[in-house]
Amino acid sequence: MSDTSLISRRQELPLKGGNTSLFLQVIISIAVFIFAITLSGVLSINAMLSNWNQSILGSLTVQIMPVNDSNREKAQTETLAHQEKTLEFLKNVNGVIKATPLKDEQLQQLIQPWLGDGIDLINLPMPRIIDVKIASNAEIDFTQLAQDLTAVSPYASLDNHKLWLNKLIKFADGLKALAMTILILVTAITSGAIFYTTQMNLGLHSAIIEILHTMGAKDTYIAQQYARRMGFLGLIGGLLGLLCAIPTIFFIASLAKQIEGGIISEANLNINDWFIIFSLPLFSMAISMFTAYHTVKKTLRKML
Amino acid sequence: MITQARGNTNIIEMQNVGIRYGQGPEILSDIRLALPKGSFHFLTGKSGAGKTSLLSMMYLAQKPSRGTVSVFGKDINFTHRDNLAMLRRRIGVVFQDFRLLDHLSAFDNVALPLRVCGMDEREIRKRVNELLSWVELDRHILDTTATLSGGEKQRIAIARAVINRPDLLLADEPTGNVDNDIAPKLMKLFVELNKLGTTVVIATHSEKLINDFAFPRLHLQNRGLRIYYPSDSSLMEKYHV
Repeated sequence: MSDTSLISRRQELPLKGGNTSLFLQVIISIAVFIFAITLSGVLSINAMLSNWNQSILGSLTVQIMPVNDSNREKAQTETLAHQEKTLEFLKNVNGVIKATPLKDEQLQQLIQPWLGDGIDLINLPMPRIIDVKIASNAEIDFTQLAQDLTAVSPYASLDNHKLWLNKLIKFADGLKALAMTILILVTAITSGAIFYTTQMNLGLHSAIIEILHTMGAKDTYIAQQYARRMGFLGLIGGLLGLLCAIPTIFFIASLAKQIEGGIISEANLNINDWFIIFSLPLFSMAISMFTAYHTVKKTLRKML
Repeated sequence: MITQARGNTNIIEMQNVGIRYGQGPEILSDIRLALPKGSFHFLTGKSGAGKTSLLSMMYLAQKPSRGTVSVFGKDINFTHRDNLAMLRRRIGVVFQDFRLLDHLSAFDNVALPLRVCGMDEREIRKRVNELLSWVELDRHILDTTATLSGGEKQRIAIARAVINRPDLLLADEPTGNVDNDIAPKLMKLFVELNKLGTTVVIATHSEKLINDFAFPRLHLQNRGLRIYYPSDSSLMEKYHV
């Protein structure tokens, strides 16, 4: 008699191989590729917002508009006098830790991208800027502070960073919503592909399924075989998609770093973000298994 | 006419059963039947008389268009899917066209009903080896069934049907493709199973088989069912006629 102890049990449903498996793997690879790129975009935006928040949290800027006078030197002196008055006032405001006026070199640096090197600030009606650090627990009424500043110097104005940051956050939120829509669409398309492939495959193997039912197999027994197979395809497809996505993410990041302004370069992914991206093949496996399992259960329910 | 079981559980009961496919006419009408536990029946009738339809209702692959069918005391119209699967595990079926899984080996085909039940692999190996040896197919244990002859396939199909020692065995022309020396051996297996308490229904065209084994005959004719009993008085008693 043959040695049956060496028999490796084969699945009753011949789900391995075939064009549908290849098709599904390609679909899942593309889906995971798009998913990984988009997800890295979302996570980068989050990192960027976090960086912005941290950098401006507990700070505000006071701007002293230049005094208008045809004598540039006199105008400059008067502007600096207004700056001094404002500085004195700010140092006495409750919650203010430090108020530092920006030096000429720093101001030159700020306008360097637009006007180039070697700018003589005396010949330019440049506003003066005071960087104000405030205590993290300070309860400052910014509207009142703005009014008080105007009373001290009509040339002083308060620039609460939250005002412009809110606009950026709104923009970033818009980008995130767009990315999330893409993620949902990609997930839905992948689930749809698995759903229709599974249904088609059930039709293809209806004779075997009928035999399994006759032998007393429950729908769960058949659904588990599909879930295992689709889960495997989801995992392999996911790994292939990720393999293509990783160099693409680095390529996009290197392009972003070349963009001047230092905004996008702050969008670095941290280790948690990478962990999420690297877990995408497991996610695609779970989605594939879940979709296949429930598709089989739902379809078989229509049979006796 | 209904065969009544006296103090005995009926394995299958049918009341006013009709079967039609789609909007077509009924192919079976007003079928009334009760198969007592441990009975042995032949199912006869011309081709197209509805033997396969009647059998498929018995192995729960089909519901009646009207009337009620009870298998192991459960009305199949009102039994949950999972419970139907549990009932099917108590039924062994031999199909006329074998319905083996040709991509699997003889071993895996015979092991199928046991694996579906979640039986331990060691126990499966023991049982399948024994049975394949008994049907003289131990040489082909690892061969895929696609490579076997018609007779060999039929023996695999029979082994698969009896491997889990079913309470009800339904066979459609089970000796149609086997050699003359194997046919009596297989019939002997069915009779032995019947003696152990398995209820057996065998659909056949073979008058020789029916004459050799004096069991009652369920005969389908003109969309109806008639039951003929053998003249053997001991069997008359067994079937409560």
